[in-house]
Amino acid sequence: MTTPSDSTDATGGHLGGNPGSGETTLTNLATVREGAPGSATGAALGGLLGATPTAPAPVDTPGTETAAAIRAQRSGIGVSALREDAPAKAMGVYPYAADLWAEGLLWGALARSPYAHARMVSIDTRAALAIPGVYAVLTADDLPPGPDGTPNGAPTGPCIADRPILAAGVVRHHGEPFAAVAADHPDTARLAAASITVEWEPLPALTDPDQAFQAPPLHPDGNIFRQLPIRFGDPEVVGEVVVEGMYQVGRQDPAPIGAEAGLAVPRPDGGVELHVATTDPHGDRDRIASCLGIEPDRVRLVVSGVPGATADRDDLGFQATLALLAARTGHPVKMVLTREESFLSHPHRHPALLRYRHHADAEGRLVKVEAQILLDGGAYADVSSEVLANAAALAAGPYVVPHVFVDAWAVRTNNPPSGRMRGEGALQACFAYESQLDRLAAALDLSPLELRRRNVMATGDLLPTGQAVTCPAPVRELLDAVADEPLPPLPVDRPDAEWLLPEGPGGAGEPAAVRRGIGYAVGMVPMLGVEGSDEVATASVRVTGSQASVICAAVDPGTGFATLAKQIVQEVLGVDDVYIAPVDTDQPASGPSARGRQTWVAGGAIERAALMVRQQLLQPLAARFAMSPELLSIKDGRITSYDGVLGMPVLEALEGKDLWATAQCRPHPTEPLNPETGQGDAFVGLGFCAMRAVVDVDIDLGTVRVVEVTAAQDVGRALNPRQIEARIEAGVTQGLGLALMEDLTVAEGHILAPSLVGYRLPTALDAPDIRVAALIEDRDVVAPFGAKAVGAAPAVVAPAAIAAAVRAATGMPITRLPIPPEDAAV
Amino acid sequence: MLPASLDEAVSAMAESPGAVPVAGGTDLMGAVNAGLLRPMALLGLGRVAELRGWQYQDGAALLGAGLTHARMARPDFAALIPALAEAAATVGPPQVRNVGTLGGNIVSAHPAGDTLPVLAALEATVTLVGPEGGREVAVSHLLTGLDPLRSGELLAYVRVPLLHAPQVFLKSGGRTGPSRAVASVALVLDPARRAVRCAVGAVAPVPLRPLEAEQWVAGCIDWDGERTVDPGVAQAFGEYVASACVPDAGAEAAAARTDAAPTTARLRRTVSVLARRALGRALS
Ligand SMILES: Cc1cc2nc3c(=O)[nH]c(=O)nc-3n(C[C@H](O)[C@H](O)[C@H](O)COP(=O)(O)OP(=O)(O)OC[C@H]3O[C@@H](n4cnc5c(N)ncnc54)[C@H](O)[C@@H]3O)c2cc1C
Repeated sequence: MTTPSDSTDATGGHLGGNPGSGETTLTNLATVREGAPGSATGAALGGLLGATPTAPAPVDTPGTETAAAIRAQRSGIGVSALREDAPAKAMGVYPYAADLWAEGLLWGALARSPYAHARMVSIDTRAALAIPGVYAVLTADDLPPGPDGTPNGAPTGPCIADRPILAAGVVRHHGEPFAAVAADHPDTARLAAASITVEWEPLPALTDPDQAFQAPPLHPDGNIFRQLPIRFGDPEVVGEVVVEGMYQVGRQDPAPIGAEAGLAVPRPDGGVELHVATTDPHGDRDRIASCLGIEPDRVRLVVSGVPGATADRDDLGFQATLALLAARTGHPVKMVLTREESFLSHPHRHPALLRYRHHADAEGRLVKVEAQILLDGGAYADVSSEVLANAAALAAGPYVVPHVFVDAWAVRTNNPPSGRMRGEGALQACFAYESQLDRLAAALDLSPLELRRRNVMATGDLLPTGQAVTCPAPVRELLDAVADEPLPPLPVDRPDAEWLLPEGPGGAGEPAAVRRGIGYAVGMVPMLGVEGSDEVATASVRVTGSQASVICAAVDPGTGFATLAKQIVQEVLGVDDVYIAPVDTDQPASGPSARGRQTWVAGGAIERAALMVRQQLLQPLAARFAMSPELLSIKDGRITSYDGVLGMPVLEALEGKDLWATAQCRPHPTEPLNPETGQGDAFVGLGFCAMRAVVDVDIDLGTVRVVEVTAAQDVGRALNPRQIEARIEAGVTQGLGLALMEDLTVAEGHILAPSLVGYRLPTALDAPDIRVAALIEDRDVVAPFGAKAVGAAPAVVAPAAIAAAVRAATGMPITRLPIPPEDAAV
Repeated sequence: MLPASLDEAVSAMAESPGAVPVAGGTDLMGAVNAGLLRPMALLGLGRVAELRGWQYQDGAALLGAGLTHARMARPDFAALIPALAEAAATVGPPQVRNVGTLGGNIVSAHPAGDTLPVLAALEATVTLVGPEGGREVAVSHLLTGLDPLRSGELLAYVRVPLLHAPQVFLKSGGRTGPSRAVASVALVLDPARRAVRCAVGAVAPVPLRPLEAEQWVAGCIDWDGERTVDPGVAQAFGEYVASACVPDAGAEAAAARTDAAPTTARLRRTVSVLARRALGRALS
């Protein structure tokens, strides 16, 4: 077993080095052993990784200056602490939802629609029920009926409840579940699901979002999820230079490393306990309870190891049917989706069609932006209205534009479901407005960099929604930072020189046909939920002796939030040993781990709770020293008075104490956009990012290799620089996937290749060198610690930067993502 | 079942008719794990040493079906049959090359199987061994189903003529990382017969030979001199091959495969570029 380098990182060594320490935390967790943060199954890790040698605990070393200096590097905010789950994940021993087990469990399976749109004339489950080993076959008839007393499939959804758990009467997308089976073997369950006979009446599939306006409604709610106009400035204004373009963004899949899986255990009170890899435990609990027709407190969700989530993860139909199967059979039920089912059922990125017209004056200053945006929301509402708001409100990009007119629609189709995926809405708009700026630069004969410099926004400028940007907006600095970085060397075409060509090692690439291109892009993303969504999180912090523990229901789906939570407590309390409790719905809610909100709201709640504990700790000391607690500070594990005269180690002050506090964080409220004008203060804050991409294109084959991506990001404050770099690397790689290869191809509403052979993800060879030119730390005063969310921005900007570079290399317009090779061949 | 010799393997196959042979398992086990295939029994070929090497026989190499892609990609093998080594080197990621075999690649007969166009261009034959003994079948006949593998038969050897002349395999996957071929071209020179043989992979269910284009370009080469052609000829050859191998219906054949189908225009262009480059490299 390899061990984390113990000379540099105490937190790495801490992993499992303190067996049983969790037992001393709050009583309701007494049964949970120390585990991986944010994960109940992670509890097993204590045993697995117990052999990892512990770094010499800093507190054991005498308080010499060097020890203090080392300690200062090891914990608290601004330190690149290693994630606790990293070694286990790298070694493949981290337990995920698919690894769950219960004695006597049954296996669940779902029967799915082979049609994109069809009526179910009749459904016969007798053959399935007759198969030995089958315990239950459930359909919409087994769910609570709708208001008119007929089965409606118990529809649910994050914004509008329109997606049935099991289709009732009609299916609206390929792979929509219409029945659920529990059996004593996974094969039996699948076989039973396949032997349910349905008399189908296929209906015409609406697959072109453009047709959604005229087509007969696919759902009683109609075909338009939302229409949002933005009216800002004077519609009559025209610029001296006008450029127009039409852009298209494909369907990206979140392709989590692990497909959906979970275990449901019935409870004696008729409720269920669900062990699932959710990112929104409380939201899912409430929605599942309402689908099942029981009270929320009879459903308990325990968050298991999450094998990848870019925002939302499981679709609720999976979780709710799993719960229902357990409740009906009285047995624990496990369900593991195949990769194919995973592709069919979970939400994808909204495919988009964007038409833009940019007006500028002769000097290249933007005068007006006109845009039409059409998002394909798939069959059900999901979060389409929110995604649309992001796309429309950010349609002009991080630029000063006095006149902006946008018409945006999200529509219903029979295509696969669309939903939340890192940078939703912002990404589609970024590709379009950045492509337009390149076009404008060409029309004005300016360099794309110079044109951007002339137009970038700064703090105080207005968004097209009329909202003033009050947070730091260092767009110019970000752009300069990436532009100032040295360029990667040009390859030399010599037999002995290593040159990775666009077709890869041993591929058909030809050095003479390779052109290099450099492209720039800037973009922005909203922080937290928009348009009045109530963002709130609760956290408890407790200190007992030398250990602090955090109870907060914010799920860490691999983003590293648990590491940040630990660093926050270390910073505020000066205690190194911080235990992060696994998440379940017995804890107070913290909301979904999406929209880059946890660092802000959950992190803010943890900070407040820690500060309250700190106050309890310092108050008696201050009284003893006869000074106010404000004059005491905690640094390097010591409490010191303002004049440095009085002081003691934190651990000594804590001896025999048991302090705890619970706090909430609720950022300042936002308001919905006006449905006629699109005006309103809809955003809590914005984050910005700039990138420079360098690509090599084989112009005969149209194959692109991204050589390097240099990023500069507005982070407010770097709470954990290495973790931010990891987020940037992840975002760039995901963005590269969308830019070059990831597209879930659909024909007539059918996903053609729902597998990882047909859906191509970037590999290590496709990933470029990723460099971070700057993390600009301009603190956002309204955010806890001044820190901004960092996950989404890189994914939003990378596709635009790569497209710009391909444009520069080939001279082709590049208007589609992923870029088809024929668009990049000259 | 893990037989240690070819004879043992053949009799084991005869004894349990439901058994399916497994070599590297990179194709087979994926199907088994996904529940698409439930073989009665598996017959592991990994211990059959005689299938893992090669020998020489009358100016040809007799390759064991159990040769892994990684082994074929090594320099000593590349000196022998360069195009096959190049093809083997581009099969999937290293993990797959380390266990995936030549025999498995042929029997799987995936349209994008990388060794297939090379074997077609080399006009290789295979030895199939069954309870009644062995028989020799042309690779192209095996692949087209003209003369398929019979039940109880194993693919034992692949006979490849040694041409002692440049040969090239070029594959386009449309990306930098490992990928199935969107299109591939194998091109070999046969100076003794003054012939150029070319096969295009991945555009149809089996590799296609553009016979007229081969003959035409062979006539353009000065076989006794420098063996070069002017760029115009290479360009025309590329287009000739592309129009022969990617008919307008080509896209449909490609759509029958699992991955996203490239458009006919793109496929033609890619094949044309690959054929032009392959000829250029073979003659340089
Ligand atoms: C991730 C990944 C990437 C891949 N990329 C590529 C690629 O780029 N190019 C490519 O060409 N292929 C690729 N493949 C496919 C595969 O690796 C190759 O086709 C490989 O050569 C198969 O060999 P194997 O020994 O693993 O075959 P197996 O899976 O063991 O067998 C395949 C089939 O052949 C039969 N068989 C095997 N040996 C014999 C024998 N001696 N006699 C009779 N029948 C036999 C088996 O019964 C089975 O039906 C990829 C596979 C994976 C998993």
